[in-house]
Amino acid sequence: MADFSTSSHCHHWILQRQTLVDKLRASNQRAQEALKKYGATRVEVQADGSLAYPENAEVEAAARKGPTPEHLTVQEEVMIRKFYEGKIQQVCTAFLFPNKIQATAILYFKRFYLNWSVMEHDPKHIMLTCIYISCKVEEFHVSAEELGKGIQQDPQVVLKNELTVLQGLEFELIVYAPYRSLDGYAFDLENAVQGMGAVAVKNVQELREQAVFEVDIMMLTDVPLLFPPGQIAMAALRKANRENRKVDLERYMQGLLGRTGAKHTMSELESAMDAIEIAMNESVHVEEEGVRRIDRKLKICRNPQLQDETKKRERKGKQKQKKPQDAAPPTYPKPADSAINHGIEESDNFTTPQVHMLRWEGMLSLLMSVKEIGAKTVLAIQY
Amino acid sequence: MAAAAPGQLNLDETPSWGSRSVDCFEKIEQIGEGTYGQVYMAREKASGEIVALKKVRMDNEKEGFPITAIREIKILKKLKHANVIKLKEIVTSKGDKMESDFLGPEKEVSAKPVDSNKFKGSIYMVFEYMDHDLTGLSDRPGMRFTVPQIKCYMKQLLTGLHYCHINQVLHRDIKGSNLLIDNNGNLKLADFGLARSFSNDNSGQPLTNRVITLWYRPPELLMGSTRYSPAVDMWSVGCIFAELLHGKPILPGRNEIEQLTKIFELCGSPDEALWPGVSKLPFYHQFKPERPMKRRVKDIFKHFDRNALELLERMLTLDPSQRITAKDALDAEYFWVDPLPCLPSSLPKYEASHEFQTKKKRQQQRQQQEELAKRQKTQHQQSHHQRLPVAPGGHGPRQGQSQAAHGPPPAVPSGPGHHYGVGARGPGGPPGRHANQARPPAGGSQGGYGARGGPSGPFPVPAQQGGYTAPPPGVSGQGGRAPGSYGVQGGGPGYPQGGGYGRGPSMPGARGQQYGMPGTGVIPQAPGVYGGQQYMQQPPNSYIDVDGQYARASHAGFGAPQPGSPHRGDYRQQR
Repeated sequence: MADFSTSSHCHHWILQRQTLVDKLRASNQRAQEALKKYGATRVEVQADGSLAYPENAEVEAAARKGPTPEHLTVQEEVMIRKFYEGKIQQVCTAFLFPNKIQATAILYFKRFYLNWSVMEHDPKHIMLTCIYISCKVEEFHVSAEELGKGIQQDPQVVLKNELTVLQGLEFELIVYAPYRSLDGYAFDLENAVQGMGAVAVKNVQELREQAVFEVDIMMLTDVPLLFPPGQIAMAALRKANRENRKVDLERYMQGLLGRTGAKHTMSELESAMDAIEIAMNESVHVEEEGVRRIDRKLKICRNPQLQDETKKRERKGKQKQKKPQDAAPPTYPKPADSAINHGIEESDNFTTPQVHMLRWEGMLSLLMSVKEIGAKTVLAIQY
Repeated sequence: MAAAAPGQLNLDETPSWGSRSVDCFEKIEQIGEGTYGQVYMAREKASGEIVALKKVRMDNEKEGFPITAIREIKILKKLKHANVIKLKEIVTSKGDKMESDFLGPEKEVSAKPVDSNKFKGSIYMVFEYMDHDLTGLSDRPGMRFTVPQIKCYMKQLLTGLHYCHINQVLHRDIKGSNLLIDNNGNLKLADFGLARSFSNDNSGQPLTNRVITLWYRPPELLMGSTRYSPAVDMWSVGCIFAELLHGKPILPGRNEIEQLTKIFELCGSPDEALWPGVSKLPFYHQFKPERPMKRRVKDIFKHFDRNALELLERMLTLDPSQRITAKDALDAEYFWVDPLPCLPSSLPKYEASHEFQTKKKRQQQRQQQEELAKRQKTQHQQSHHQRLPVAPGGHGPRQGQSQAAHGPPPAVPSGPGHHYGVGARGPGGPPGRHANQARPPAGGSQGGYGARGGPSGPFPVPAQQGGYTAPPPGVSGQGGRAPGSYGVQGGGPGYPQGGGYGRGPSMPGARGQQYGMPGTGVIPQAPGVYGGQQYMQQPPNSYIDVDGQYARASHAGFGAPQPGSPHRGDYRQQR
C-alpha cells in the first residue's frame, strides 16, 4: 500500500527541529548576502535551476542614492510567513474550499520557504501560487483567472511562479493533512461510543469540531513540518478535550495503540503530543503593526528603488499640503519610523507594477464579497 | 547545470530549490510522440543509464503546468510497484538547448526580473527505460504469444492494476501501447496522464466520461456515466485479453455510437434486469438498440479455451458493478491451471530495441521527414500510395479475405514508417492503431517478403542487414522500416514503442509494418518451448463469418480522424 509511511511527506518533509532551524537560517543568510552583493534580494529561478539576481546597474543606482536596505531577521521572516499562512486560510475559507486544500497549500508554502527566504520570493505571490497548485493537486480545480478575480490579483503572478514553486517542492506534491486523520479518529470514536447513547455521539462530534479549530492554529506553526499528521490530529483532540473531558480519549488511544500493534508506546505518544503543544505555544504571535513594519522592510529590500520613490512622494506630498502633521519622516533609512507613518496602504498608490499590493483590510471585506463567485467556480470546474 | 550566465549565480550543482537540468542526459532518439509532449530515449551522462524522457509541453498559457502532468507526477510518486512504471525524477531545461526542443519565439536570454520571469524552459519526466510495449510486441512479424506468456502478461497487468485500485487510482487509459515490457519480461503500466485518484470522500464529485481510448472504453462511459469505478479499467483489460488471444482488436469502433453498437453486438444489449440502473445513464435511451440483442461472447470467441472464455466473460460484463475486479481476476481458474503462467524472466528476450543512431543518420532521417511532411502537405499522397494507409473508405479488401488466404492478418506497410505524425492524424485524431487497422492485404506490395510460412510455420531467422547500423527492423515493436520503404527512405529508424510514456496513440502506421521482413529481429522462439500450444494457429475465420460487422470494421477509414471523433484528443480540446 502506498500510504503515509511510504510517502515523500513522511520521508522528506518531516524534519528534526535543528534541521528546520538551520534551513531557515541558511536561506536568510543567502538573502542577506544577495542584498550586500546586488543591493536587492529578489531572485528568479531560471529554467535550468540557476538563479537570476537584479542586474548590476540597478545595484549601483541604488547604492548611489542611499545605504543598503536593511534585511529581515529570521524571526521577522517567521512572522511574515505566519501572516501569509493565515491569509491562505482566509482565502480558502472565502472560496469555500475543503480543509484539505487549505492544509496542502499551507504545507506547500512552508515547504517552499524551507529553502527560500521571503526576501527572495514575494510571499504574497507564492501564497497564491500555493493555493492554485493545491487546487490542482487535490482535484478541486479552479482556473487561475477565477482565483485571481476572486482576490483581485493578476492571474499572471500565479502562473509565472508556478514552476518555481513546483521545483521548490521538488515535485513532491502529496500532502497528508491532519484534518483527514482527525476525521478518521472522530469516525472511529463515534463508532466506539455508539452504544453509549446519543449524548456520547454528540460529545464526539463537538470534540471534533473543537479539534478542527486547534488544527487550524497548529497549521500556522512549525508543527506540520515537525510531526506526522496523525500525531497532530491526536494532539488537537487531546487539547480540545482537556477542558470538559467529555470523551475518554486516553482509553481510546490505548485501544488504538493496542489494535494497530503500533511501534510506539503510550508515553511516546504523550510526549510527542506534549511537544506539539509546546511548539504551538512557542509560535510567534502575529500582530498587525509588526507585520506592516516588516512588510515595508521586505518591499524595500526586494526592490530598493522603492526607497527613492517613497522619498520623492514624500517630498511631493510635503510641497502640496503644507501641514506639518502630514510630514514624512525626516531621514532615511529609518524603517521603523517609515513603517509607522507609511503603512502598507500607502504603497497602493504607487504606479510601479511591482509595488502594487494587497490592501489587507480591504482584502478581507472583498473576500466576503467573492464568496459567491468562489463557490460557483468550485462547483463548475470539476472533472 | 550550465555555467552561470551574467547576472546569475550558480550556487550549487544540484540546487535545493529545483531539479537537475536535462543536460545531465544525452538524448539518443525520439521514441514517441504524445499530446502532451515528445518522448526521448536518453542516456544519463554520469551513470550511462538509459532512460526515457517525457517532455511536458507548457503551451497552455492559461492554466500553466498541465493538470494531466500534475496528476501523473503525483500519482507516480505515490505508486511504487514492480508493475507500475517508475518515475525517477523531474528535470528541467532551458529550452534553447536541444534543437528539437525549440520552444518558439520567446527566447530572451537577459533576465528581466519580476516582470518577465515567465518560465521559458521545459520540464521532463525521467522514466525507467522499457524496451517494448505490448501492442508493438504483439504486432511483430511472426510474433505468437504462447499461452503461458499471455497468462504471464495478464497476471502482471492485473497485479499492477490491482495495486493502483487499492491505492485509489484509476488508470483510465489501459491499452496495449501503455503496457510497457522490458527484456526481462516485466510488464509495467505506464502513461498515467489520464489517471486520477478517486477517494471516498469526494465520491460525490463527478468525473469526466471522456477517458479511455475508444476501443477500450467501457459501456458505462459511452453511455455518459460520470460516477464510475475501477471497473472501467477492467473492461479495458478484458479488451486487451481478448485481443491477445484473438490476434487483433476486438471492438474497433470508429466513433462512440459505433463503439457502443459493437459492444452490444458482442455482449448483448443491456436492460434493467441485466444491469440495474442502466436506464438512468444519460445516453441510455439515445443509444438503446431497437430490438434487444443477445450476448454472443461465447459464440464469437468459441476458439478460446474454457477458462480463458470464462474469465473474459466476467471482464466483459456490461454492468460495472458485476464486472470482475482485478483481485478476483487474479484468483480466476485461468491463472491456476496448466499451462501455468510462466515466469517473466523465462520469456524470450527480443533484440535490443535501440542502438545509438549516428548523428548523420538522424540528420538524414530528419531531412526525409521534412521532405515527407512537405510532400504530405502538398497532398501528393497518390504518388506513393504504396506506402500509405489505404485511404478512408478506400479499396482495401476485407481483411477476412487475406486471412483466409494467408493465415493471420498479414501486415504490410501501412504508412511511411517514420513520421512525427502522419498527415492524416490531427491532434485530436484517432489512436495510431487506426491506421494500422487499415492494413491492406498481403500482396505484391510487400516485395516478396510477405509470404509467411503460415501460422505455425518456422519463424523467420533474424538476418542482419548489411551495413545497417540502426536497430534491426522490427525489434521491440518499433515501427521498423517497411519493406517497401526501405530503399526509398534509406534506413531511418522507425519509432520504437508506440506510446506508453507518451500520450498514447503514437505512430500510426508504425506498428506491424515489419511483417514479412527478413531479419525481423525476433529471436527464434521454438514453438512449444513453454509447453503451451500457441493461440491463434487457426485464423479466426469464424469470427468474420459470424458477423461481417467485425470484418468490415477493419476497413480503412480509421486513418482519417472524423471530425469530433470521440478520442482523447478531443476530450482535451473540449476542455
